[in-house]
Amino acid sequence: MAISERNPVPALAGSASAYVTPSTSFGVFKRPVQSTGWRSWVFTVDHKKLGIMYGVVAMIFFIIGGVEALLIRLQLAAPNNRVLSAGAYNQMFTMHATTMVFLFVMPMAAAFANYLVPLQIGARDVAFPRLNAFGFWCFLFGGIFLNTSWFLGGAADSGWFAYAPNTALAFSPSHGVDFWALGLQITGIASLTGAINLIVTVLNMRAPGMSLMKMPIFTWMVLVVQFLLLFAIPVITVALFLLTFQRSFGAAFFSVEKGADPLLWQHLFWIFGHPEVYILVLPSFGIVSEVLPVFSKKPLFGYKFVVFSGAAIGFLGWGVWAHHMFASGLGPVSVAVFSVATMAIALPTGVKIVNWTMTLWGGKLRFTTAMLFAVGLIVEFTIGGLSGVTHAVAPSDTQQTDTYYIVAHFHYVLFGGAVFGLFAGFYYWWPKIFAKMLNERLGKWNFWLMVVGMNLTFGPMHILGLQGQPRRMQVWTAFRAGDGFFNLAFWNRVASVGSFVLAIGVLMFLINVVYTHRTAGVAPADPWDARSLEWMTSNPPAEHNFDAIPTVHELDEFFHRKYEENEATGEIHQVSTYEEIMADEATRADKHIHLPSPSYWPIILALGLPLIAYGLIFARLLAVFGGVIILLAMFGWSMEPSVADESDYDPPVDGGPTKELATLG
Amino acid sequence: MADVAVHTPPADGHGDHSQGHTTSTGLSNNKLAMWMFLGSECLLFGGLISTYMLYRGRHEGSPTPSQLYNIPLTSVSSFVLLMSSLTMVLAVSAAQRRDDRNTMTWLTVTALLGATFVGAQVFEFTEFVREGLGFTTNLFGSSFFTLTGFHGVHVTVGIIMLMALVGMVSRSRIPGDKAEVVEMIGLYWHFVDIVWIIIFTLVYLIPS
Amino acid sequence: MSHSCATKPLQSNMTTVKNVQNQSGDSMTSNSTRRRRWAMPVAAVAAFTVLSGCAKDAPQDTWQPAGENARKIHDLQVWPFGIAGIVLLIVCAAVGYSVFKFRDRGQAIPKQSHGKPSLEIALTVLPALILIGIGIPTVSTLFDLAKTSDTECVVNVTGQQWWWEYDYPAQAGCGGIEKPIVTSGQLVIPAGQHVLLRISSRDVIHSYWIPKLNGKRDAVPGRVQTLRMQADQPGIYSGQCTEFCGLSHAYMRMEAVSLDAAGFKTWVDNQLKPYTAPTADSKYSEGEALFITNCTRCHQVNGILGTDGKEVIARPDKYVYPGVAPNLTNLMTRTTFAGAAFDLQTEACKTRLWNTPPAQFTAAYLEGVTPQCLDIVQLREWLRNPTTKKPMYADPTKLATTGGMYRGMPNLGLTEDQIDKLVAYLTERK
Repeated sequence: MAISERNPVPALAGSASAYVTPSTSFGVFKRPVQSTGWRSWVFTVDHKKLGIMYGVVAMIFFIIGGVEALLIRLQLAAPNNRVLSAGAYNQMFTMHATTMVFLFVMPMAAAFANYLVPLQIGARDVAFPRLNAFGFWCFLFGGIFLNTSWFLGGAADSGWFAYAPNTALAFSPSHGVDFWALGLQITGIASLTGAINLIVTVLNMRAPGMSLMKMPIFTWMVLVVQFLLLFAIPVITVALFLLTFQRSFGAAFFSVEKGADPLLWQHLFWIFGHPEVYILVLPSFGIVSEVLPVFSKKPLFGYKFVVFSGAAIGFLGWGVWAHHMFASGLGPVSVAVFSVATMAIALPTGVKIVNWTMTLWGGKLRFTTAMLFAVGLIVEFTIGGLSGVTHAVAPSDTQQTDTYYIVAHFHYVLFGGAVFGLFAGFYYWWPKIFAKMLNERLGKWNFWLMVVGMNLTFGPMHILGLQGQPRRMQVWTAFRAGDGFFNLAFWNRVASVGSFVLAIGVLMFLINVVYTHRTAGVAPADPWDARSLEWMTSNPPAEHNFDAIPTVHELDEFFHRKYEENEATGEIHQVSTYEEIMADEATRADKHIHLPSPSYWPIILALGLPLIAYGLIFARLLAVFGGVIILLAMFGWSMEPSVADESDYDPPVDGGPTKELATLG
Repeated sequence: MADVAVHTPPADGHGDHSQGHTTSTGLSNNKLAMWMFLGSECLLFGGLISTYMLYRGRHEGSPTPSQLYNIPLTSVSSFVLLMSSLTMVLAVSAAQRRDDRNTMTWLTVTALLGATFVGAQVFEFTEFVREGLGFTTNLFGSSFFTLTGFHGVHVTVGIIMLMALVGMVSRSRIPGDKAEVVEMIGLYWHFVDIVWIIIFTLVYLIPS
Repeated sequence: MSHSCATKPLQSNMTTVKNVQNQSGDSMTSNSTRRRRWAMPVAAVAAFTVLSGCAKDAPQDTWQPAGENARKIHDLQVWPFGIAGIVLLIVCAAVGYSVFKFRDRGQAIPKQSHGKPSLEIALTVLPALILIGIGIPTVSTLFDLAKTSDTECVVNVTGQQWWWEYDYPAQAGCGGIEKPIVTSGQLVIPAGQHVLLRISSRDVIHSYWIPKLNGKRDAVPGRVQTLRMQADQPGIYSGQCTEFCGLSHAYMRMEAVSLDAAGFKTWVDNQLKPYTAPTADSKYSEGEALFITNCTRCHQVNGILGTDGKEVIARPDKYVYPGVAPNLTNLMTRTTFAGAAFDLQTEACKTRLWNTPPAQFTAAYLEGVTPQCLDIVQLREWLRNPTTKKPMYADPTKLATTGGMYRGMPNLGLTEDQIDKLVAYLTERK
């Protein structure tokens, strides 16, 4: 794309020789120059293309994780069922959680963050575009690597929490846990590089006038999440290294017979794992905090409180990890401290719910699908949050932990919270990204089927758990289901039926996407009468995002350019349209825009990582090969300037673009 | 480190998001990124140090830490590593004066001092193995070698970066602001040194 | 659905609190009230759900405490559940009202208000006060439950893939136990007494949980953790391992049995009685010989004599990875086998035992598994090939990572005739 804008004249003239090729080879290869076809995606460093790729791949993993969930619910539909063997079932719930957490929600949030943060802050790309591409490829290769374990001796079977010493070779003899540990290391690199990149982008590259407290709330929540990732990822990295060293090189870290303390793993895992919960859910909080104001025609109620509560959750999230370990035997003093800390974190979370509700209050509400998902999130997440408070009470948690009550709780938080937020984001930003409006009729089917499906699936799990059905059980027995028509067998069946309703709801989304892209016309430029900067450009935005970097005066800058308040009457009236604002911006358009150039190195560098991982499991020689690729790729990468200047390129061919044009883009 | 390499030159003065232009914080993107990365590294070493502190007393089947540690040797090698921070400062200052000759000299000296430290560490490791403490012997062994090994790998990566930097300075192949690249590698190098001071204190000096 | 589903008479004043509970259950189901057209049917369904929504007599119901510790937890948790229900109702009402009232009907664009700090602060302080109100009793109950000073006797509980071993050290408590007792499958305790479980594990982390008697406590290898147990009345209470512990986690179950004081004494004496030799020259004695050749490598039967006249000592540490196999000395005094995964009794006998009123329960349990009640099919299936009944790592060709040691019971390749004789031998172990 960079090159295509570099070079619009031949394209207009229909000329075939569309490229201006690099004259200098930095490292081994000359830069890639294709502006169309698969190469323009594979070697891209454009945050928007990477965002789309993150989204597409995450959606595929969502489907895989969803199929795993359906198999689990099929197995549990009847007592002593035989759909899955014990081994297969254990792999299934391990991979379902791993896939949904690491390969769907996190990367889908990364998709939104990648695509939208630069647009929301008025930047032309992220701070480190190649690093961004590298992160995506790490995620993709890590995800593929993890899932190949299914075909190479079985997937991990020790739960996504992988408590030691059950992960030791003696207890989990297949390569599954090795795949799991190494795969998460690779996706962890994606998260860490992404975090550094987005933090620098948000802190350093805001448009003139955009102070931190004028930043769109989604960007704020993304910023908090990136800080959580920055500090949480290294902790799980340590834990995974210890695990890999133990399994591959015989280290003693979790060998109880050598005096190891199995609780070490639990502490390391949950010091990462609890911030991880907020990593999953805060981006969605950001999304609904964008959607609710737009469709209420009001600013977010208590913007500052939402920002500070997000930051407070970010801080407090580090002090509550041991509430996952109330039954582990920490001693009453620790348990008491963590119990109270956990209750405290309910406060900033409650602030958000209050502010969302108050945003609706007194508004002018339009119930588009995006708005429905956002309002749905308020209610479903509240249920999850409140059931969270009930097991912050440590003594009752000892009855509830590791039962279906917990499964119900975190699915209300993660499905009703995180996933609903992501779906609100799909419907809200789809016209921005693809210039098509998703069909609202199908959208409402999508929403209602998902709401009904999720409440049917996860609602009964509250009963199942409180009446004593533990989680991670391949089978349950009719005897322990109790008597009566509405016994646990009944609720297990309801949950299984509900999961298929839920799946049909998700299917509606996919149908909607296909249907829309076949039939729908070009979406209007500002379909929702939106408030923030990402809408103050074309749909989809040009490669360089903004012709002129806007100067920001207000929170909700775009809205304030469109509307003014009559000071006498207090009435809000429109003063200009999208077209007028864009025309005004066009007069200030930058003539000389330099964009980062595509590069081979990110994908090559990322390719070395799964090679090392396969090598560690199957043949050390392959690991050496992977290491060599990484070293060479790093060398090539550091030799290549991320932005090509004009002197990199061959002089324009006759009739080709002039130097002046070539500098654009 | 990948971060270091991602760099946009101020080149013609109208690159829209390159360094050397005003950023919202005033810190260059590269430097801010390095600080973030080092912040993350703190937690990595925090985890490893905690693991070591938990397990350092569990040395069944091997000599005890106090029998193994060769404090004079390690003190000398620690001193060498600390001196390398000083030479790194000199390299950065030379780079800022655009004095390529001295930049290369001091970078090389820094790398050599770092290599001396790594050499001492390799010697120490082989001694330990000879005296009966292997990586798999017991919890103390596993956590000791993992912690100091991770630090050693960090120093080694630093040396590779320093040497690459010398090569690139000599051929003027650094994209962008040379002094800043040197400064960033310097940041990394100082961080690794500071981590060693903590490790040296906690592992070697404070008896378990 | 946070309501209790108690169908048995409840202690003390719990019934009133239940009503609060029902409200919260109601509101959780009716989270869809904001969707107007759906509101009525959903509310109806919710009400119906609450009235009849859960299992009667679910054996692991956490809302039907049958002992002091579980009751303390229960009394504590009804308040947060109730408050949570009320808060949910308020949120739903506020959202529902907004959705109704402020729908776009062509009204003017509202004032661009950025919030109201006083309201925010009020709505932060109020829940903070509520949480303090919940926090104080939480902490005090927590310390109360951790107390070990008032316990009267001790049982060591050890988890292993995938069953629990109970060993009773010799002690003066619990009516006096003169010699150590080792058993598995069912924890037997005297009713009314405060029993201290000392919980540990031989391999991975397990978790001990009898919901009606207390919350769960992890069994962590290398650590010994305590859990108080007390059952108000004689009876049988079920539980399950609740920390994922590998392949057969779902089959790692347990039952706790409480007997009256005299009954417990009888049980102890029976456990410690000398070996009862099988009926001579019969399938029983042939069974004993088969048992010695096939089973005593791992399974101990106290006092069994080998052909050399010496007591046979099992050496499970040579064959089983975690090192121990269930002691079968008094197999027929317990009603389950294979980690409480399967019943030794037929369905009918089991139902009868579980429904025996407390006053008669002790006597009924002490009968053991009578020949009429023995579910011979289950036991025979188990002996024919254990891994088809319960997944285990017992295929000798796949034990490289444990150095050839089993995790679970392998297929012994017994003939039907051998199985007959072994079953016959085992039926006399009571």
